[in-house]
Amino acid sequence: MNAATATGYNFAYLDEQSKRMIRRAILKGVAIPGYQVPFGGREMPLPHGWGTGGMQVTASVIGEADRLKVIDQGADDTTNAVSIRRFFASTAGVETTEQTADATLIQTRHRIPERALQENQILIYQVPIPEPLRFIEPRESETRKMHALSEYGAMQVKLYEDVARFGHIATSYDYPVMVNGRYMMDPSPIPKFDNPKMDMMPALQLFGAGFEKRIYAVPPYTKVESLDFDDYPFEVQSWEENCSICGSNHSFLDEVIIDDAGSKMFVCSDTDYCRERVAQQENPA
Amino acid sequence: MAVISNTLIAGFNDPVQDAQQVFRAALKAMSEPGTLMACSFTKEAPEGLDNSSWQLALTLFDADTKVWLSPALAQNDAVISNLRFHCQCPLIDNTAEADFALCNADELPFLADFNWGNAEYPDQSTSLIVQVPAISDEPFWTLTGPGIETQRSLRIAGLPEHFRADLIRSRQRFPLGIDTFYCCGDQLVALPRTTQIEEAC
Repeated sequence: MNAATATGYNFAYLDEQSKRMIRRAILKGVAIPGYQVPFGGREMPLPHGWGTGGMQVTASVIGEADRLKVIDQGADDTTNAVSIRRFFASTAGVETTEQTADATLIQTRHRIPERALQENQILIYQVPIPEPLRFIEPRESETRKMHALSEYGAMQVKLYEDVARFGHIATSYDYPVMVNGRYMMDPSPIPKFDNPKMDMMPALQLFGAGFEKRIYAVPPYTKVESLDFDDYPFEVQSWEENCSICGSNHSFLDEVIIDDAGSKMFVCSDTDYCRERVAQQENPA
Repeated sequence: MAVISNTLIAGFNDPVQDAQQVFRAALKAMSEPGTLMACSFTKEAPEGLDNSSWQLALTLFDADTKVWLSPALAQNDAVISNLRFHCQCPLIDNTAEADFALCNADELPFLADFNWGNAEYPDQSTSLIVQVPAISDEPFWTLTGPGIETQRSLRIAGLPEHFRADLIRSRQRFPLGIDTFYCCGDQLVALPRTTQIEEAC
């Protein structure tokens, strides 16, 4: 552990009373998989929408022995990831890493790492809108009732409208899932490519929505199913191209425009996975 | 009742780091039901409390949590003075209003007496911390459900028969339910409301 460099703050920024309140909410979330637990969201020293929910969960969970990895759309080196990693390095003095396998805590915005996560790792998602039914029913009092009664038909109708209009389910991220056969859950705006990784994942998954002040969770080894129809089964994206850097044909690829003429390349969205593959190709052990 | 100062003992040595580690143990216990955890961040507990239940109290209780104590604990000056001094938690008489209930196994009230929350807000239910005479992973209960890859076995000694039967039956009322911690010495194990329990005859 390195020493915390920021002075005048509690360990990991949040005060102990706030941490206790968030910890109680996390325990309830784990006990009721997929259910959104309201909590008293605190002001964080960056704007809502930059991962304040995930940061509050991380601040309440993190300890001196943890190694933290932060990714934004799979990448360790984007602004959001760099600033959150530096925030915890300076307020908590914890070790940070870019390697998925080395991390005990991974805070993520919009991706699940390609490398399979293990028991004893915790994946913390930054969530903008925790309520999967919000765009169908704007009233919280109503969506609460819909969850209470498992009244999820409206979401099937929304997916059916996709089929009727486009011939397939066109929802490609933020794709709704059922957790443990009971609660409909918003997996945060991860691509639906990542949805199957949530099912029976050995790691604990925690979700924090700072603006909407909700925490929810999926314990390890919990069933997570993506919604679909018998005749239109759930499918994930695939690409005809391979990653231009590591040649991967099975990871989630970003399309990058590389000049004014509109030429493009495809690269792995998970930078650590790509780096690891390149290292292996250069030095096959 | 006031705090009686000569019954007070020290809490955590390092309140920030120790509470974090106890929380992580509680989180692991709750997310992997039936996993035995050990917490030893306090040298002693108030007379009448197990070391692990005392550490859970220091980690989770504060002025925002209403706590119900089972009769022997509620009459114990060391327990109430230390809870008031270290946690500032309001101690209440009515189980149905409790956020947390701290009980001895032989004094457990009926499960139905606690706060079960409601269908819209099942998280408002009482969390139960039970002090029991022994915990082991001998096969007695077979546990399945979220957090358990295949199955896990667990034996908790000293639970009254009505409580065991009610707990097993309560799974039918999901998402309503009572989440439970069991404490014995430094040991800690949790059974959230999602864990299905099968009892060997």
